Amino acid sequence: MNETLQPQQNQTEQPLTLHTLSSIRSLLINPSTPKRTVSSLLQTLTQSPRPTHHTLNLLSDLATHHSSFSQPALDSLIHSTDSPTRLAVDSLASISELSFPELDDERFVSLCFGPSIPGRIWMLRNAGCTFRVRPALLFTVLLGSTKDPYPYVRAASLEGLVGLSGHGEFCDVSMVKGCYLRALELFDDMDDCVRLSAVRVVASWGLLLSASNADMKAYWCNEVFAKLCSMARDMSVKVRVEAFSGLAKMEMVSKDFLLQSLSKRVLGNGKQRETMDQITSEQFAMLATSVAGALMHGLEDEFFEVRKSACQSLHRLTILSVEFAREALDLLMDMLNDDSVVVRLQALETMHHMALNGWLKLQEKHLHMFLGALVDNCREVRCAVRKILKVVRLGDLAMFKSSIDRLLKNLDSYLQDEADVFSAFSHLGRNHKKFVGYIVKETFEEVEAAFEGNDGFKSARIAALLIISISAPLFNEYLGIIPPVLFSYAVTLLGRIYLAFSDIMDKDTLLAYLCEKSRPSSDSVSDINHEDVEQQLSLIEGDTPNCDSNGVIDSKIGSQIMKEQKEVTCYQVEQHQSEYSEVTVYVNFILAKFPDMWQMIETGLTNEVLRSLRCLKEELTSLNIDSSESRDALAFTLLYLRIIKLLVEVWEHLLPAKGSCSHGLAELEFKLGKLDKRIKELMSKLVGFSAEEELNILELILVTYALRLWKVETICVNLTFKRLTSIYSCVESMLKERPVLPSNFVVELGKLLHKCQTASVNGASCSTLQFDKCLKLFSLKKFVFRGTIRQLKAELSISNNDSLHPFPFVSGLPVSVPCEITLHNIISKCKLWLKMSFDDGLVQYVFLDLDHLEGYGDVRSFAFVAPFYRTPKANSFRLKVCISLECLFESVCPVQRYGGPKYELVPLCKEKQVYFSNVNKD
Amino acid sequence: MAIETLVLGAGQEVGKSCVVVNINGKRIMFDCGMHMGYNDHRQFPDFSLISPSGDFNDALSCIIITHFHLDHVGALAYFTEVCGYGGPVYMTYPTKALSPLMLEDYRKVMVDRRGEEELFTSDHIAECMKKVIAVDLKQTVQVDEDLEIRAYYAGHVIGAAMFYVKVGDAEMVYTGDYNMTPDRHLGAAQIDRLRLDLLITESTYATTIRDSKYAREREFLKAIHKCVSSGGKVLIPTFALGRAQDQNSGKTIGTAREMNGLYYLDGIQFGNTSFFGSNSTNSELCILLEDYWERMNLKVPIYFSAGLTIQANMYYKMLIGWTSQKIKDTYSTHNAFDFKNVHKFERSMLDAPGPCVLFATPGMISGGFSLEVFKHWAPSENNLVTLPGYCLAGTVGHKLTSGKSTNIDIDPDTQIDVRCQIHQLAFSPHTDSKGIMDLVKFLSPKHVILVHGEKPKMDSLRERIHSELEIPCYNPANNETKCSSVDTPNSTLIDRNLTPELKVEDERVADGVLVMESNKKAKIVHRDEVLIMLDKKKQEV
Repeated sequence: MNETLQPQQNQTEQPLTLHTLSSIRSLLINPSTPKRTVSSLLQTLTQSPRPTHHTLNLLSDLATHHSSFSQPALDSLIHSTDSPTRLAVDSLASISELSFPELDDERFVSLCFGPSIPGRIWMLRNAGCTFRVRPALLFTVLLGSTKDPYPYVRAASLEGLVGLSGHGEFCDVSMVKGCYLRALELFDDMDDCVRLSAVRVVASWGLLLSASNADMKAYWCNEVFAKLCSMARDMSVKVRVEAFSGLAKMEMVSKDFLLQSLSKRVLGNGKQRETMDQITSEQFAMLATSVAGALMHGLEDEFFEVRKSACQSLHRLTILSVEFAREALDLLMDMLNDDSVVVRLQALETMHHMALNGWLKLQEKHLHMFLGALVDNCREVRCAVRKILKVVRLGDLAMFKSSIDRLLKNLDSYLQDEADVFSAFSHLGRNHKKFVGYIVKETFEEVEAAFEGNDGFKSARIAALLIISISAPLFNEYLGIIPPVLFSYAVTLLGRIYLAFSDIMDKDTLLAYLCEKSRPSSDSVSDINHEDVEQQLSLIEGDTPNCDSNGVIDSKIGSQIMKEQKEVTCYQVEQHQSEYSEVTVYVNFILAKFPDMWQMIETGLTNEVLRSLRCLKEELTSLNIDSSESRDALAFTLLYLRIIKLLVEVWEHLLPAKGSCSHGLAELEFKLGKLDKRIKELMSKLVGFSAEEELNILELILVTYALRLWKVETICVNLTFKRLTSIYSCVESMLKERPVLPSNFVVELGKLLHKCQTASVNGASCSTLQFDKCLKLFSLKKFVFRGTIRQLKAELSISNNDSLHPFPFVSGLPVSVPCEITLHNIISKCKLWLKMSFDDGLVQYVFLDLDHLEGYGDVRSFAFVAPFYRTPKANSFRLKVCISLECLFESVCPVQRYGGPKYELVPLCKEKQVYFSNVNKD
Repeated sequence: MAIETLVLGAGQEVGKSCVVVNINGKRIMFDCGMHMGYNDHRQFPDFSLISPSGDFNDALSCIIITHFHLDHVGALAYFTEVCGYGGPVYMTYPTKALSPLMLEDYRKVMVDRRGEEELFTSDHIAECMKKVIAVDLKQTVQVDEDLEIRAYYAGHVIGAAMFYVKVGDAEMVYTGDYNMTPDRHLGAAQIDRLRLDLLITESTYATTIRDSKYAREREFLKAIHKCVSSGGKVLIPTFALGRAQDQNSGKTIGTAREMNGLYYLDGIQFGNTSFFGSNSTNSELCILLEDYWERMNLKVPIYFSAGLTIQANMYYKMLIGWTSQKIKDTYSTHNAFDFKNVHKFERSMLDAPGPCVLFATPGMISGGFSLEVFKHWAPSENNLVTLPGYCLAGTVGHKLTSGKSTNIDIDPDTQIDVRCQIHQLAFSPHTDSKGIMDLVKFLSPKHVILVHGEKPKMDSLRERIHSELEIPCYNPANNETKCSSVDTPNSTLIDRNLTPELKVEDERVADGVLVMESNKKAKIVHRDEVLIMLDKKKQEV
């Protein structure tokens, strides 16, 4: 080996080739390499004319594997940190990996002040975590480097100081102060990145400084607040954002400073200053100009990042002073007019926190903005406003009334919000029983009229009014105000309204509660006298909006009315269970809407329906679900929703207005194809349907075929007709076994098919008009999710393969594809295929025989090696692999394939790409 | 060494901005505006003070124009074509595109309508524009060997810029007009922290501190929403967008002149609303409404009256890079100047039932279509009229804002019974005094000179800058020269942050080689790295 290295040493002008380097490495990591060789290798490496990161790596390998040579190797590494290039960074990284105890203070400092700029930055960034140095030394080095001529070095040292403030114990006040003041100086730095880090240092070390001396805490807090405020007008967006996140950390600030930050004018010597002591007053006079209007500027900023950050900082600052909270609220309300959704949401989030702390004092002047957000076109914004309405205390009746009006308007314009709006009503009622008492008379009249059918029956509105009335007495004893008949009316809407109370009781408890309250008490209340009400109300001392007050529930059901909303989160054990039942309820809520929508479609309101569907879909996809049962429920609902959406879209083509334009036909055909595919997916990928549900789905398939025959089919009429008949006979046989009446559509279709069969042989002669007649009879049935439905799913992974690391193959010979497969809910009667498709369209199927594979139960995992036979004559190729399920329910097969699946396939997982590369590449 | 500032216009006044600065031997003219309040020699800056001999080419290194308002660009064609300056003129791209339109517009009104003496011709404007070199924001332009200039975003109007000038080690900034608070369609001024010897800043609102614009927006939207949701009609009179189309522009009322919405009264500018200035307010309102409509799902139609073309919006659409951050961020999906809810108004819709919002000209309801609409809509208390912040005496707008009179005489025969609601609203594209202070504080120059403002207010601001920021500050009058001494040479090579206590010595601070390989991003490397990159050995001689 020495001989091979010899020529290298002689020609020191030539850099070491990669080949040589790799052989050196193999020698180095071999523990039995003789010392003499190692020594000459070390020499070679250190004398190498142009060190690269390869040689550095080798040096560190050498140091780790051969401890006797570690010192000279380290020396050599340290020597190369002098390199002005990026190599210095590499050598520093290598040194840090070795983490020698020999790296003493002196050496550490000399590395930190090395001539290489990237090296310095690297050291400052990593010194805290990779080197074990004393905090005092680190502090000195970092502070010293804040005067480096290079901006990035200064920024890195400041960042290091920020990190140090988190876990260092600094007892010496003057040391903390020195660091803080140094950062303040850098507020005037020319470079944005330095100012940014300086702001972070001032925020973090300012806190340390204020915490270091209890007497001076207020003084230093004000000081830090003012300094951070002065950076709110920096020209760099990032600096401004950082300044506001610094403000969000303040622990205490004098009220006058806070108020000054909301006003661009410097507040005068008037009464504001009476509260201040001498020191604060002098301090205020000095700093007022830099504080002036800082928060207002932040909220007015051009960049949404800054506005958001400013809103966020108010979150913390409003806790510090009630008066400030009140003034800041005026500005926050204006943020609801912002053009960025992110900012609007952040403003609402801040208000929500204020409400939780009881500092959200809504005033009449805020209502237009605040309640206006209830009809915002962004779902999250509406939701956030309702979230606040659920906890806020409203000051007077007028506000309470306009809140109700706006919530009802919200309900009118956005049907999909119903569940949450109802819940908001329920909370409003619980929190404002007194106001409910004031409006109960008119409510009663309206509800009464609606139930007697005198009025146009607006069910959502009535349900909402009922909810607010029945929720008022929930935690309160004085019930006389609410007429019992309202409770009986509420019983009739139980199914619709019980969700609004789901945070405190379930459906049955609510029913029991309603039943008990609907029994008329001794004094008849059927016609309420307003004066009586007021008399009763006058007995109520003040309003106790938060239901966590000691409201007495004087009924047997009281004990069953469970935990408060806040407590619910504690029941972590039940969480999965409750989440699941919540999901079931939600899913059924959605499923129940479809039949109604169908009626809307028949009256031509397709666009409205499509809009609601889109919203529902958005909501479903945004749900965050943990348990597998809930996932199954969601998968089902989502798929069903997609089918309905496609059906709605297809149906639109059949409406007279759209008729028969040719471009429409192509689209219709495309959509029908998609619909067909989706329904089959529903039928095969989900199991556990009851017979009735299965009938429903089969009916959908019949509809699809009938549509096809009626509108688009010209080529495959016979095949489609055959399929239609086969499905129909399937339906027929199922109907025979059960006492279910077939739908009008199925009956009419049966008649039609019978006619066709008696008249002639195939569907070609079938008049299209007759399908039209059947289809008109179709209507969507209600689907109820009972929790039995499971989703068939497969996961496929192929490890150690990507475009950079392909599997080897020899062209013409079969190649193996090692798959790791996990199956969920697959039963043995399923027929699974591994579908491998090649770029040019060639497909090869491999049957997965479930009886011969390992694993049992709902979740099965196993490894499977699939052969691929037709490897091409190419340097590399790519296969798309996918696990698919054969649709067995349909007995008509479209194409006869040899050796492959007989029926259509439904994919169970995402396609996986596998890369191969020829071994014999030239 | 000193920087010499000769103020030719806008010294202790607003109008004909023109400042000539002598910096390290280079003479630069900032802005070349005309005064709209005068008709005589005072209309233009006194150019003879630059060079008594009239040889401007030798006397000036270049001219820099900050934006296209006439009080900043109005005298340019005259100076280059009539006075004979032939050197380079620098301005931003939008300013170059819009200035000739402004000049031509002015010329037409003056000559064609009012028959005044022609100061420059259309050909002059065209020839003048040939001398203009357009620059981009933050692009450093080397005017000659020693002189470099750079433009920074100034807000104010589209294309407005502040200019940074560096000659040797002397540096300065001339702000032009700027705005430190953003609005919905233009951003706030944006500049780097520089080491300046001199800052020349506008001071239109030297003592005003403006409240949050949100309150104004909120009230405006609330009023409009209330009106349309109760079925009322909203009339928003605005200044003309098109060029010299409005019958009323150029009309003299008292001592004030209206020039496409640019109002001057006794030499003081009131509504900075000319052409694009006016469109500025227009676009601002329209974007505000459009946003609100979108968010609240409102379906009430918004109309532009027929005379009010959306032509100027076309410029905004093209110059999207010069608008506010939000518009820049979203324009790929939706151009904010494509107003979805805006339709054209037909006269026949005047008495049509149902709510609507209408933008109509002219701005102060002094006649024309907005007056016609006003006659129809004013008698109903359901309707709403919004008015600009300032209305000239004698216009209907003024009568509406000044008193509670319910009867307004349009002419001897007609009297309108005004029952509709009135809402007043103002947007200003200038920075307030807080903004000026903030900018001065951020830049911390060695000297400040105030221009473009009213003398008493400037005096008070000057005192504040002097006392609060401890920076010497001046507000010279027209034709005065101010010397600001620059004693301590400042080198850009060594950072000001370095204090003698701890100094990290590094000889190679300014060393670096810019390497541009084909198809690769340019990068700066250390000189020792160059050899490695090129794979060459070092040759010692």
